Amino acid sequence: MSWLTRLVVPALAAVLLAAPAAADPDTDFTNELHTYGVYGQKDYNAWIGKITCKRLDRRVDKDVYASATFVHGHLAHGATTEQAWQFLTAALRTYCPQHLGRLDVAAR
Amino acid sequence: MWRHGSGGMQTVTRKMTSMRRTGVLVALLAVLIAVAVAIAAVTFADATDDYPIPRHMLRTTCTAEQILAAARDVEPVYYERYMTDYNNKSPEVQRAVQDRIHWFYSMDYAGRRAYSERTATDAFYEQLAWNWPNWAKVFFNNKGLAARTTEICGQYPREDAFVWVW
Repeated sequence: MSWLTRLVVPALAAVLLAAPAAADPDTDFTNELHTYGVYGQKDYNAWIGKITCKRLDRRVDKDVYASATFVHGHLAHGATTEQAWQFLTAALRTYCPQHLGRLDVAAR
Repeated sequence: MWRHGSGGMQTVTRKMTSMRRTGVLVALLAVLIAVAVAIAAVTFADATDDYPIPRHMLRTTCTAEQILAAARDVEPVYYERYMTDYNNKSPEVQRAVQDRIHWFYSMDYAGRRAYSERTATDAFYEQLAWNWPNWAKVFFNNKGLAARTTEICGQYPREDAFVWVW
């Protein structure tokens, strides 16, 4: 084994193994949405998820009911209320877990 | 026979030369027409009721703040991108944008239409565009967005400065 191979092989292995560990949150989010039957453009859904958090931060949406209404308005036609809440839960969990507790309050 | 044959050849040659001349003339004419049309298009580049500013924006009674609030709800990604751009501008440019857009919506239809005309025919007219070419993107650049925001803008507060903070 040449010295070059000894150097390159571990480096390559490190890169390949590291890639799945540093997964992109937008990809995770998209994958979770797919389990709810919510499809559509990955970037767009990620935008809506992040903006949903921003609206809660800035109190544009005063509670998660307002958030769910906002989300529902930007899902594809025919999306159900249940899918809107699933989207909202996934968005809060992925992009602003500090707001997750507000879902419990709403569920009570 | 030989003479006769030669005469026939001469006639054919003459005909061909005449056809070539006609062809050249037609080509020249086509070029002239194309140039004329191109010049005319430039000369008459004009505003319409939908260009460059969509008609809904020429006629709405909403304020800039109401339109922004509506965009935040119905076109959140568009609003987000505009505000990201806006936040990257200096406070002076931000102030100028607010002043200019307030001035625009303070005018009646005729005033707004005249402004649309000026910006369509004179690239140097809107000074603010030199500081930020897309300064009015969320207001003027998209007919669909203009239609959706002006449809519901009336339900938002007229002077909510908070819409500029994002």
